[in-house]
Amino acid sequence: MNSIQSFFTDWSDVIGKSIIETFQMVGISLFFSILIGIPLGLLIVLTRPGQSFENKFLYQFFNLFINIIRSVPFIILLFFILPFTKIIVGTTIGVKGVIVPLVVYTAPYIARLMETALLEVDPGVVEAYTAMGIKRRHIIWNVLLREARPSIILGLTIATIGLIGATAMAGMVGAGGLGDLAYRYGHLRYEVDLMYATVFILIILVQIIQSIGNRFAAKLKKD
Amino acid sequence: MIQLENITKKFKTKKGIVKAVDGINLHVKKGEIHGVIGYSGAGKSTLIRCVNLLERPTTGKVLIDNVDITSLSLNDLRKTRQKIGMIFQHFNLLKTATVYNNIAIPLKLLGYNDSEVKNRVAKYAEIVGLTEKLDSYPSQLSGGQKQRVAIARALAQEPEILLSDEATSALDPETTEAILELLLKINRELGITILLITHEMNVIQKICDEVSVLESGKVVEYGSAIELFSKPQHPTTRKFLNTISQRNLSPSLIKQLNVSGSVIRLTFLGESTGKPLLAEVSKVYDVQPNILTANIIELKNGIVGNIVVHLHGKAHIVEKALKYFTENGVSVEELGGELNE
Repeated sequence: MNSIQSFFTDWSDVIGKSIIETFQMVGISLFFSILIGIPLGLLIVLTRPGQSFENKFLYQFFNLFINIIRSVPFIILLFFILPFTKIIVGTTIGVKGVIVPLVVYTAPYIARLMETALLEVDPGVVEAYTAMGIKRRHIIWNVLLREARPSIILGLTIATIGLIGATAMAGMVGAGGLGDLAYRYGHLRYEVDLMYATVFILIILVQIIQSIGNRFAAKLKKD
Repeated sequence: MIQLENITKKFKTKKGIVKAVDGINLHVKKGEIHGVIGYSGAGKSTLIRCVNLLERPTTGKVLIDNVDITSLSLNDLRKTRQKIGMIFQHFNLLKTATVYNNIAIPLKLLGYNDSEVKNRVAKYAEIVGLTEKLDSYPSQLSGGQKQRVAIARALAQEPEILLSDEATSALDPETTEAILELLLKINRELGITILLITHEMNVIQKICDEVSVLESGKVVEYGSAIELFSKPQHPTTRKFLNTISQRNLSPSLIKQLNVSGSVIRLTFLGESTGKPLLAEVSKVYDVQPNILTANIIELKNGIVGNIVVHLHGKAHIVEKALKYFTENGVSVEELGGELNE
């Protein structure tokens, strides 16, 4: 008992700070990734051949764009876009500096997940609404996005968990977080207890997020 | 009400250009139920989708109330589409919405106010018989119930025309019957003009006034249901008729029987269906009729009876007997060797 107590008195500050940093990074970058990813996903679905806003050029362009970014491992992307990061937020270090690469990494991923979710929607329903004389933007909102909600939420759950993984590398630019804690203290300084504790927290975190996502999706899914 | 003028629809495929619809003219009058029947691949789905421009015809005009809708702006086209309801083979309902919302959402999107939406949902759910299911989700309903929701959704916009794209093809016979009853009721009580496509002859039989038979993108026969059922002209029409009533015997059987008389098909129509003509004939002339097969088909607007009969007797007397039938309004057809109908 004593050793557990002393472990917490020694490390609770550091762990607490790391948890907050992780939440900050995940929360902020998830917000911006969704803001970019969902419209981007919608765009590559709607500009597809045979869809309502068919546009070969836009479709090919965004398709290629997403593929290119998705090909680069996060750790490389992090350094590769340093100049871009600097322009956007004015710094390349700390939590602020890591948000940009995290968003650049996650938004195209979310776009792909959105694409899959939206393509699952029965085109027959879209057709039925078109036949009723309903406006396209209403159809996008009330049919496409509505029917895709369960899959969208599951997709966002996956993206969030992926994002937590990516934040572990944020330590490279001094942004901290749980992953960084496990790496610096646990691996480099060989504080095994701390590494285990961090990994344990990460496991719990991922479990919670996945359960929440599953529950929400199940609630919206009616078949 | 609906007038299709010289509609052609070509599709580009990998094998080249396919003409799904090839110069079709079709006129659906107000208040009637018009059925288009054809085998799969005949182009009927493409044809019905041309009526509300879900598919734009390559050439030709689509006149709704004498307005060519192919030249309308998107906005005006939307307005016209609101007058044309459509139901589908696979219902096309929102899975994530209750029955109530499936009917209500389109109304809200079309700008009706809350109380109007409520009233209409209640009214049309009642007409299709789903008042108790308003809080259910489509996955909790049977196929027939889902189609009822789709019908209510279409009716709630109070359209003048209803397009039915194989609406009963995914349903079992009993449910098909019930949905056809419902369509008939809608047509009679709400005065909605219905254009439907199907590959099932019993759909035509039960509810259609006018029929077009479609083959390879062309109308090969057109007429009232009674005409088509009593005097089918085109081989395809006859094939379809054979799916619901036996009109023919095998050629070998006919050959055998023809030795001692002739095998004829008598088609009774309207009044003549009620007369005991066969009995009269055997009294008046020296012939013995032997009924080989017989059936009676109830159409929406009348009755058509078919009897295939073997008349024993001398040739010249048989001929007189046949004349007697014709004089009494029965059409007579000799079944010599009509092969492979």
